Amino acid sequence: MQIIHTDVLVIGGGLAGQRAAIGARRRGHKAIVLSLVPAKRSHSAAAQGGMQASLGNCLGASGDNEDIHFADTVRGSDWGADQAVVRMFTHTAPKAIRELAAWGVPWNRVQRGERDITVDGQRQRIEESDAAHGLITSRNFGGTGKWRACYVSDGTGHAMLYTMSNQAIAAGIPVHERMEAMALIHDGERCSGAIVRDLRTGELLAYIAKATCIATGGFGRIYRVSTNAVINEGMGAAIALETGIAQLGNMEAIQFHPTAIVPAGILVTEGCRGDGGLLLDRAGHRFMPDYEPDKMELASRDVVSRRMEQHIAAGQGVQGRFGEHLWLDIRLLGAAHIEHNLREVKEICRYFLGIDPVSELIPVRPAQHYSMGGVRTDHTGHSPQLRGLFAAGEAACWDIHGFNRLGGNSVAETVVAGMIVGDSMADFCDSAEGSLQLSTALVDRFARRERERLAAIASGSGGESAFEITRLMQETMTANVGIFRHGAGLQQAVEALQVLQRRAANITLRSSAAGPNPELVAAYRVQRMLKLAQCVAYGALQRTESRGAHYRADFPRRNDQKWLRRTLASWPSASAELPTLDYEVLDIMRMELPPGWRGYGDKDYIAHPDASARQREIDAVVAALGDTDRYRRQQALMPFKHLLPGHLRGRNARLGDPT
Amino acid sequence: MPGKLSAWPARVDVLQSLSGLLLVLFVWAHMFFESSILLGEDAMYRVTKMFEGEPLFGKPYPLLVSAVGIAVLTLVVVHAVLALRKFPGSSRQYGQLRQHMGALRHPDTTLWYVQCVTGFLLFFLVSVHLYTVITQPGNIGPYASADRIWSERFWIVYALLLVTVHLHAAIGVYRLAMKWYPPTGANPRAHRRRRKRAMWCILAFFLTLGCASLLTYMYLGYQHADRAGERYQPGTTVLATEED
Amino acid sequence: MNTIPVSEAPRSLLIRILRHNPCDPDSAPHFESFELEEAEAMTLFIALNEIRQTLDPSLQFDFVCRAGICGSCGMIINGRPGLACRTLTRDLPQCITLAPLPGFELIGDLSVNTGKWMRGMAERLETWVHAQHLERVDIDQLEQRMEPELAEKLYELERCIECGCCIAACGTAQMHEDFVGAVGLNQVTRFHLDPRDERSDAEFYQLVGDETGVFGCMTLLGCEDYCPKDLPLATQIAFLRRRMVATAR
Ligand SMILES: Cc1cc2nc3c(=O)[nH]c(=O)nc-3n(C[C@H](O)[C@H](O)[C@H](O)COP(=O)(O)OP(=O)(O)OC[C@H]3O[C@@H](n4cnc5c(N)ncnc54)[C@H](O)[C@@H]3O)c2cc1C
Ligand code: HEM
Ligand code: HEM
Ligand code: SF4
Ligand code: F3S
Ligand code: FES
Repeated sequence: MQIIHTDVLVIGGGLAGQRAAIGARRRGHKAIVLSLVPAKRSHSAAAQGGMQASLGNCLGASGDNEDIHFADTVRGSDWGADQAVVRMFTHTAPKAIRELAAWGVPWNRVQRGERDITVDGQRQRIEESDAAHGLITSRNFGGTGKWRACYVSDGTGHAMLYTMSNQAIAAGIPVHERMEAMALIHDGERCSGAIVRDLRTGELLAYIAKATCIATGGFGRIYRVSTNAVINEGMGAAIALETGIAQLGNMEAIQFHPTAIVPAGILVTEGCRGDGGLLLDRAGHRFMPDYEPDKMELASRDVVSRRMEQHIAAGQGVQGRFGEHLWLDIRLLGAAHIEHNLREVKEICRYFLGIDPVSELIPVRPAQHYSMGGVRTDHTGHSPQLRGLFAAGEAACWDIHGFNRLGGNSVAETVVAGMIVGDSMADFCDSAEGSLQLSTALVDRFARRERERLAAIASGSGGESAFEITRLMQETMTANVGIFRHGAGLQQAVEALQVLQRRAANITLRSSAAGPNPELVAAYRVQRMLKLAQCVAYGALQRTESRGAHYRADFPRRNDQKWLRRTLASWPSASAELPTLDYEVLDIMRMELPPGWRGYGDKDYIAHPDASARQREIDAVVAALGDTDRYRRQQALMPFKHLLPGHLRGRNARLGDPT
Repeated sequence: MPGKLSAWPARVDVLQSLSGLLLVLFVWAHMFFESSILLGEDAMYRVTKMFEGEPLFGKPYPLLVSAVGIAVLTLVVVHAVLALRKFPGSSRQYGQLRQHMGALRHPDTTLWYVQCVTGFLLFFLVSVHLYTVITQPGNIGPYASADRIWSERFWIVYALLLVTVHLHAAIGVYRLAMKWYPPTGANPRAHRRRRKRAMWCILAFFLTLGCASLLTYMYLGYQHADRAGERYQPGTTVLATEED
Repeated sequence: MNTIPVSEAPRSLLIRILRHNPCDPDSAPHFESFELEEAEAMTLFIALNEIRQTLDPSLQFDFVCRAGICGSCGMIINGRPGLACRTLTRDLPQCITLAPLPGFELIGDLSVNTGKWMRGMAERLETWVHAQHLERVDIDQLEQRMEPELAEKLYELERCIECGCCIAACGTAQMHEDFVGAVGLNQVTRFHLDPRDERSDAEFYQLVGDETGVFGCMTLLGCEDYCPKDLPLATQIAFLRRRMVATAR
């Protein structure tokens, strides 16, 4: 077996993985990136709408800053996020975007002078200032107080990923494509690399590294209807789970995006609504204002998705060939706007629906979109349980999203986390803890284990089909662990998944093709996906409240008294059928923004007594400070800068700063 | 220029296009002079004498025509040598190209292939023609040419030359335009279709013109067959002598 | 009377696939046919997955985004290169022939190693912003300004998804393995246009000034005609050609 040594092994070639690799490389460490597919094909490329960063350049963004971004994010998360980490994030996001701007991303820019926009279904004329001309502009997105989503037409993720990949190539970072991490090598305390399968030849290799980073993206494919790429099967999170040591955070927090086209499930960006698009029902009636008079189409995603399903359930859906749906109307934006700022949307409509959105309505319905949960890390991206294991991006639960992520915060997270985790991995490699004394016996043990697992599947004779089990798992998840959840359905899902897990142990392959063998791939992946699915379903069953995207019809209220806690799932042993759940309490007394109403969605929640206590404390601190600036006020409430690498601590300059 | 790549690939690319363009312009112009026969033997006679420099020097110097012929031949050779680089270099490449074209059936790739094939044929056809022109510059004129075409059976060469050179030239000009100044603007595809239509029109025009004059030469040669070798005297025509 | 429109009986598709597994020493390239009932709104993504799940689990192909944005699924569809995921079967005849993209290393059946090719191209053409002090940009300060139209123009050229269709559609690239193709030339023009890239024309000439670069292009235009992202490839190549000629003088 081939053994490859490196300082830093990054599993995942999306935005998060490549940025982390660049960070470590710049600090002088050898980094290798693994990816299932060529790095530029990672699903980051699919992000259309934008990246949140409080630059505050254009008119709709003026006055924006880290504080507002922070508050939006925490409210969006329904107070599930780690507020110190949100602070690190919102502080670093403008830097991330400026770095990318220098590296070559062609961000759309502010054009001075008058232009027409569409707000609330009406044309409006606004005028951009001379001072902002040529700076990075931004668009409106759901759940935000300002126009904060910086964008590149509607190919934001594509442009970012290409620039990132090109910089990684420039830095000479090798990307080992078509390589799948199958298991993490560890001794129970320290992770020291991974066993990897070559997807061109089917061979196993070992990668040995001082620091290993999981940046494998989301796991939407445990659902039947998902906007995710077909490679988003969560294998990174799964191999972390299979260590039995590393924990996954908040796996039940699954986001459903309001506007996936029917039936393909392909996403049309939130930018459609951000730019003024409307949601209509069977009667052509704009129904969102009936439910959400303040934010309307631009409430956070969990709320809009729920309202849409509620409206369909009320009999107002459009009956189509592929079941019920609603309409997204962007006709009012005009042909020129659509051709310039929403051209991928236009292409998707043309190829997958055969329609022109300039003159026709787009059939949409919510679909699984994002996994807030993932490998739990501390603020440096390090796993608290398994040293040497790091995680970044959608695969991680670093925890800025809590129970609902805001549109545009995800690609921002990937880059920001990449910047921070790249540094922490370098720090770790430089530290005494980082040095590696590895016994070859350990590597051999893991290699043998994986080889035996594969052999067992290849020689299995139980007669089950991997494809069939995958399909059943996806059906179960979409039917019972979707937007509206309730105890009975969740219980059913947990049991169904257990049955499927047993069946998955009895898969028989029909093909024994040499090389990668796609059927074998499907077989070993579904075994792991079932574990992730179980973490989602079981976590959702246990969480008897509604928070963010996790909505329990039988427990419709957010319950801060009992559930202001982060779920931590681990998989106790190879033979276990359920994860072990632990909970991590979120301490209100250390929050900068104590829990309250989000400003949209239901106002009804069970408050925690600490919330008002902390608010009083905050009021007192603020009063004691007297007349001061927002930086000092923030510092007094919840210091965070010391958590950041030194070079990321500087203040962000903005247009109109006093000079 | 610093670095390992020299300026030659750029120069050669320009030279290839420029030589092609000059040749096209020459051939097109040549078509008008050569088809002066359509206006009668006298017209053609005057054109030939003009090229032999009579109006300038008072008496014809056929060697001038040889000189031009040599110059044109040089240009053809230069052009052909440069263009030959683009031919499939091995049977493997040729096989790949054939397979590619067969599967893709892409019009512009086919056009390029037509240019390669016609270019290859031209190499021989043009040589034959220019050999005649250069070695017998004096033997150009209404009767001399007509006799060559009919009695010496050169019409076969010319018919082939006519078709190949005009295919090659018209396609060449279209491709030159696409190579250096492709259409931009709101609807480049429509623009390109217009260019292509123009190419077919030019081709049709020159083929018609060429056919008409070739047929005229042939008819003339047929009429003049029994007196083949006799030179044209201004003011007389075959048809006129017959009627006399 | 029946007012519900009755759709016609679904077609039975005949899908012929060029198969070969280089990992298997006994495998030789051959066509294999699969019969499949057409479904409403069926794409080749759906059809191929159905074949793999129900007829032949060893069939190899690549899909990632299945939305026409990642460039994974380029293949030859009835002789023409295109993105399989966004090709609806209803736009094709009843008999559909699929083959891997030529010009790339074959991984198996319809799967080819475009990634390796593209990485090689990127390294050879250095397709990234070259600027001094890039590692020390002050990211606390306002970003450099850029004209809005210029940003849009850059994005226009950056929409390439490295699918490889332009390589499969280019006779030159098929004959000459070392030709960087329209994908490479377009990317060079993208960085040439970018004011953040400090390279001079002479430096660009060193990257593309020969027969493997811009002077290798014979204006066959297959690239432009089959680029699934409708990039203005002919325009970009011509622009580069003119610039490089001007530089060489
Ligand atoms: C359709 C769509 C649109 C979106 N739009 C937006 C938007 O507008 N704004 C926004 O902020 N967010 C958006 N998101 C979310 C955002 O794009 C993703 O969350 C983010 O890009 C994830 O990046 P990542 O680097 O974590 O992972 P990815 O980009 O998904 O990369 C994962 C990488 O891991 C590799 N990998 C996976 N498993 C393994 C393994 N076992 N071994 C080796 N390698 C492996 C893959 O090959 C891949 O390279 C969107 C998401 C979708 C689905
Ligand atoms: C005599 C032998 C000739 C040969 C072997 C030949 C061959 C070729 C070939 C192979 C090409 C394609 C080159 C490419 O695509 O890059 C070409 C291009 C061209 N040829 Fe010729 N040709 C010949 C004569 C002529 C003549 C007589 C004319 C004028 C009528 C002509 C005009 C052109 C033009 C305009 C082009 C396009 C140039 C370019 O693409 O840069 N050629 N020739
Ligand atoms: C100095 C150079 C040339 C001279 C003086 C010349 C002259 C002539 C003359 C006089 C004829 C009439 C037939 C004859 O007399 O044989 C003729 C015919 C023809 N020439 Fe040329 N020629 C020259 C170069 C070329 C070249 C370079 C080409 C193309 C590559 C060409 C293509 C033809 C064709 C196609 C015909 C037949 C026309 C028809 O069918 O009507 N000639 N040429
Ligand atoms: S230029 Fe077009 S055809 Fe070529 S790789 Fe890019 S997107 Fe594909
Ligand atoms: S098809 Fe090939 S030859 Fe040039 S114009 Fe396109 S790259
Ligand atoms: S699968 Fe991504 S383009 Fe087809």
